Amino acid sequence: MSGRGTKSFLLSGARELLFSGARPLFAIALALLTSAGMILATDANPITAYAALLQGAVGNFVSIANTCVRATPLLLGGIGVALGLKAGLLNVGVEGQIYAGAAAATAVGLIALPVPPCVHLFLAVLAGFLGGLLWAVIPGYLRAYRGISEIVVTLMLNYVGFYFISWLVEYPGILAEKGAVFPQSPPILESAQLPVLIRGTSLHAGIILGVILALFFHLLLRYSPFGFRTRMVGENPEAARYAGVNVTRQILMVILLFGGMGGLAGTGEVLGLKLRLFDAFSGGVGYEAIAVALLANGKPLGVILSAFFFGALKAGANKMQIVTGIETSMALVVLALAVLFVIAIGFGERRLISRRRKRGKDQAAKETQAYGN
Amino acid sequence: MGQGEEIALRMVRMTKQFPGVLANDNITLELRAGEVLGLLGENGAGKTTLMNILYGLHQPDAGEIYVNGKKAEITSPRVALDLGIGMVHQQFMLVGNLTALENVILGIPPRHPPLLELDSNRARFKKLAKEYQILIDPSTPVWQLSVGDKQWLEILKQIFRDVNILVLDEPTAVLAPSQVQQLFKKIRQLTEEGGAVIFISHKLDEVLEVTDQITVLRDGHVIGTISTHEATPPKLAQMMVGRPVSSKRKPRPASETTKEVLVVEGLCCDDDRGIPALKNLSLTVHTGEIVGVAGVGGNGQKELAESIAGLRQTTKGTIRINGELLTGVIRDPSLLGYIPEERNRTGLVDSFGVEENLILKTFDTPSFTHRGILKWGAIRQAADNLIEAYDIKTPHSTIPVRHLSGGNQQRVVIARELNAGPALLVSSQPTRGLDLGAVEAVHNMLLQERSRGAAVLFISAELAEVMALSDRIVVMFKGEIMGELDAETADVSLIGELMLGHREVFAVGGGTS
Repeated sequence: MSGRGTKSFLLSGARELLFSGARPLFAIALALLTSAGMILATDANPITAYAALLQGAVGNFVSIANTCVRATPLLLGGIGVALGLKAGLLNVGVEGQIYAGAAAATAVGLIALPVPPCVHLFLAVLAGFLGGLLWAVIPGYLRAYRGISEIVVTLMLNYVGFYFISWLVEYPGILAEKGAVFPQSPPILESAQLPVLIRGTSLHAGIILGVILALFFHLLLRYSPFGFRTRMVGENPEAARYAGVNVTRQILMVILLFGGMGGLAGTGEVLGLKLRLFDAFSGGVGYEAIAVALLANGKPLGVILSAFFFGALKAGANKMQIVTGIETSMALVVLALAVLFVIAIGFGERRLISRRRKRGKDQAAKETQAYGN
Repeated sequence: MGQGEEIALRMVRMTKQFPGVLANDNITLELRAGEVLGLLGENGAGKTTLMNILYGLHQPDAGEIYVNGKKAEITSPRVALDLGIGMVHQQFMLVGNLTALENVILGIPPRHPPLLELDSNRARFKKLAKEYQILIDPSTPVWQLSVGDKQWLEILKQIFRDVNILVLDEPTAVLAPSQVQQLFKKIRQLTEEGGAVIFISHKLDEVLEVTDQITVLRDGHVIGTISTHEATPPKLAQMMVGRPVSSKRKPRPASETTKEVLVVEGLCCDDDRGIPALKNLSLTVHTGEIVGVAGVGGNGQKELAESIAGLRQTTKGTIRINGELLTGVIRDPSLLGYIPEERNRTGLVDSFGVEENLILKTFDTPSFTHRGILKWGAIRQAADNLIEAYDIKTPHSTIPVRHLSGGNQQRVVIARELNAGPALLVSSQPTRGLDLGAVEAVHNMLLQERSRGAAVLFISAELAEVMALSDRIVVMFKGEIMGELDAETADVSLIGELMLGHREVFAVGGGTS
């Protein structure tokens, strides 16, 4: 009897594991299916559309490079959001952190420093990280010490960041290019630019940084006391306090870290792709990073996959538009649907599990009753 | 008062199941017009659930409600209000930024919809407030009111709605003693006008003072209903605490109780609402003894345990463990083991695996962390050893603890807290919600700790359990220790009196112990 119990127990554990891994894939499939319906409604052929999308995303070298370029800021920013999710925090301020990080990286990237190029690049990247981190001091302090929702503060700071950049690059802002037609900064010095990985494409080294950091944070969460504390605070802050964790400090540190990651997302964009700072350069990529992290269930390694998935959608959307005339915004629709399906599936599972558990309990109650009589 | 008058409310065979808890099991009660019914029971006895059903916040799984003799389906608070049922909740249900008047009319459908008719309502507010001697200016924003005034406003809110069945859920928790008397006056005024009141409390003295009938609940059952003038404190205490208290003591070897381990002196602290929970409490526990803390739940036991564990800010007094002054959360498992009252909320991270929960406090010690990296191999090894040693039934050490039974979850907590052989063990309601076998195991474990030479502070609301296990018993009431008895000779009825705060008894009859 107990042997059988143990077995079904293990089975249900395995099932749960399978569920959690398959959930995003299942959600993506549902999202693509639903979107196919929408495409049909516009009198286009979804198969042609998706084929064009695939072609545009991974059809050749250039399109693969393009996918990676699009995935880079989503990956860096998405890691930051995922880290927050692990600590029970929702970081919706990636956009603002991108602007703050980009501004700091640009400031360093514009100064000719008497150092070797690789050191200059390193300093510029570091500045970008610190820029995002300092930006997050505001929500970090307010959340950790004053209990003010990090969601509201990070969201509102996005607007501040946006206009802050406008102010910086509009003459006579300190980063503005003199005599430029558009409000923008002078180009980043070559010594501070991220190296291009494949000649003839815009694929830059930011993607490598992103993958390494995703791995790093995965290991950090699993193998370091810091990660253990973070997960404890996220799952049950009361128990964390009971176990002697300084919850306030942990929350502050996580917020600073995710700010830094958002800063790196902006850094990659200016030092690797745009090569200068200008108004609204991010184009909402910070908001998409939230969806990317949610699609990955808050797992850093999962963020790699979901960032590439969405990068591919964005890269392929152009081709899809050329072939079928469907707006590129369809890519956003697919992403949004995927996130909604992930959440819906998670909710459905929980109900399923609790119903099953209840049934198990009723069964057990009946059995004990039978014994009682 | 209301002898033989009409029955205002009948709740018949009410049953409500929550996941894992049968909150109400076949509860039947009756309330007559012009009468105050006391609903007595410990925390978790099912009082609040029953009243939430009455107020339409929960739907019962079974049972029928009759209001003024007519069967009623109370599907929402709206329906309850239309039936004349009002409720003052344990927590204030007031909107801080609105004025007193606005709070009172909030949710009442106006007669001429877009208009709030503040003027006519203000007049009515003033008239009722005067009748009930509630001195609140209707235009004061609620956030400016004192705690007591907020409570009066809650009651006024109900009177304003013409309720004739009023439920007061722990209304005195936030009130000062003089205000409690004012509250009782208002309750009597209500019943004299034909209203019926259900007064929920776990404070016996208050229930004895203000009610006409008392229904005692325990573990979701009605233990009995008695008329208040027939009720005596020991009788009620026994009904509340449950099983007829037989002092079947657990056999124990003699032990050395020479060295003081825990010394608490003049301790004061507040509860979560900022109301004093411990008042100048002093307590000593020696090596090799179990000191049992008896008392009706909610008299400061939880706050005492949390203070000793360093989880609660104290306002006065000192706590010393092995001579060391306590300043924060103790992370040294060889000094303090603490089994918290709510294991799922405090003691465990229920989505974490068994192994992770076993190292919840020691993950960053050298045994489990080397150069900033967790040694999962060593962690798993240690976990497997503890699973074996403490007989934790789990298929694997990585299974989330939420999948384990309550008894096995408690074993995880116990294994973690006792493995290092703590000098002091604070154990707060360690058997709550466990089945008989698991209760027995926990009891034996506590006795083993005593034999090992640990100082054990054992807090439980089950008097029988306290009497069976303790060497000494202290009785808590309203954050104070009413008396201390030798458990070998302690008398149940004396403890019962002390649990009600009747310290005089101790002075006179204390010689018996």
